[in-house]
Amino acid sequence: MLTIRRAKIKQTVTTKAIHSSSFRDPSGYVFTDNGVIKRVINPIYFEHYYRLKSSGFFNTLFKNELLVKHEELSASDDEIIIQPEFIPFITYPYEWCFNQYKEAALLTLKLQKFCLENGFSLKDASAFNIVFHNGKAIFIDTLSFEFYQENTPWRAYKQFITHFLGPLVLAHFHGSEMLKLSSNFIDGIPVKTIASLLPFKTKLNPFLYSNIHLLAKFEEKHSTDYKGETKVASLSKKGQLNIIESLYSYIKKLELKEASEWGKYYEKTNYSDTAFQLKSAIINKWINTLNTKTVIDVGGNDGTFVRRITAPLQQALVCDIDNNAVDYNYKQIKQNKERFITPFVLDVLNPSATIGFNNQERQSFIERVSAFHPDVTLALAVIHHMSLSGNVPFSASAKFFRAFSNYLIIEFPKREDSWVQRLLKSKGEFESYFDFYNQVNFESAFSLYFELIEKQSIEKSERVMYLFKVK
Amino acid sequence: MYSLYFDPGLGAMILQAIIAAVAGVILFSKNVMYKIKTLLGLIKHDDQELFDDINVNDSKSENKTDSDH
Repeated sequence: MLTIRRAKIKQTVTTKAIHSSSFRDPSGYVFTDNGVIKRVINPIYFEHYYRLKSSGFFNTLFKNELLVKHEELSASDDEIIIQPEFIPFITYPYEWCFNQYKEAALLTLKLQKFCLENGFSLKDASAFNIVFHNGKAIFIDTLSFEFYQENTPWRAYKQFITHFLGPLVLAHFHGSEMLKLSSNFIDGIPVKTIASLLPFKTKLNPFLYSNIHLLAKFEEKHSTDYKGETKVASLSKKGQLNIIESLYSYIKKLELKEASEWGKYYEKTNYSDTAFQLKSAIINKWINTLNTKTVIDVGGNDGTFVRRITAPLQQALVCDIDNNAVDYNYKQIKQNKERFITPFVLDVLNPSATIGFNNQERQSFIERVSAFHPDVTLALAVIHHMSLSGNVPFSASAKFFRAFSNYLIIEFPKREDSWVQRLLKSKGEFESYFDFYNQVNFESAFSLYFELIEKQSIEKSERVMYLFKVK
Repeated sequence: MYSLYFDPGLGAMILQAIIAAVAGVILFSKNVMYKIKTLLGLIKHDDQELFDDINVNDSKSENKTDSDH
């Protein structure tokens, strides 16, 4: 206990710029050094670190791309400093599609099994320990491994249920929207809440009954034991492996009930084939002229347009409000083994906020995208939804996109476009309130923040493409 | 020494022995079903599977795992 206290004091007096999400674990902390993310390991964790390093544990995980790679920069008696591989854009659990969430859960279990086989155990199972990089889930908390003590249960078991199994099972029964709950319950959805939201029939399923309903009951029963009088049960390693493996096989098979026929989107839209090709050609021409390496496609659906970009991209962020579209994109990434696309769920009318302790723990979308600062932002078939469904004025949309990147490629569907017509019709008697929606107003509002480089109509459609540069 | 900075949940710690037993039964019966289905030729290998199995590809520990498949 003494060592912990000493470690904590050390953290508070350091002059390093500690990352605002790195304060929970006394084993070390993350800080930024001239914009570079580094991690300090405190003496309390030295023994673990050296064992993980010398046994080849770290190396095996690096080779399999399951744990973020790091390089040891310095080692003294007071601290070891390591530098993890740079991850250009972090996404949070509440921005993942169903299959990303599933992969993160499976990765956590895979790691715990590997830990147990090598004399370690994961000391936490937070969904925030995982990010998506190079087209797959990767664990980023290098200090999460503790020594396994024979016959002890998994300390992070309950956390795994509240961070992973609970949200996934809820999404299975009630739809992917349930995954967004994790933005409110930053340390997992309470077991009691999960249990109460599940249909009665789940009580008849031995797996769900034991892992969720019975857990809720036990937690309730033992919640008042503050003195630690109840004897903690022991659990053999084989027993724990049974839990891990049954969780793995259950989650691996879990699907969304709502599993939709996504991917037919582009067949449903009002594009003729030629218009579709033309739009793609215009994007390619501009992307190539700008020598683009990184993009964000806002409202990028299943990544169709990003995949049609011919220039070699280093990183493409593709976000969409529709969890199913993101999921479809993600499945393609997995199947094609694409490494440069990072998909995530985002509602432009309510992008992820900064949340957590001191309102600083998890960064907002705007903060992250501004830091990432892609070369080009694509906003295709988005502005009419922002303006007509979200009632966002053009000037506010322009201000919003300005924070993203220096160049913006935006598609403007004219009033005559069938989608725009549909949206306008839905306004009923208030349709006249939306008379502002036209090209002239759009151009003048965007010219407040952007310089118009080029515009081009898409033939055989009622849409116009714009290339803007931030003023 | 427990350097724990979140509540593992006492109930959750005690309960794991029971869950492990339930999981053991589930896994056992699944294995039995798998073997029966294999014998009857009902297992089709799905190459389209999105996620691989739980084992980390490690030449060192590969021999240690007693996978039934």
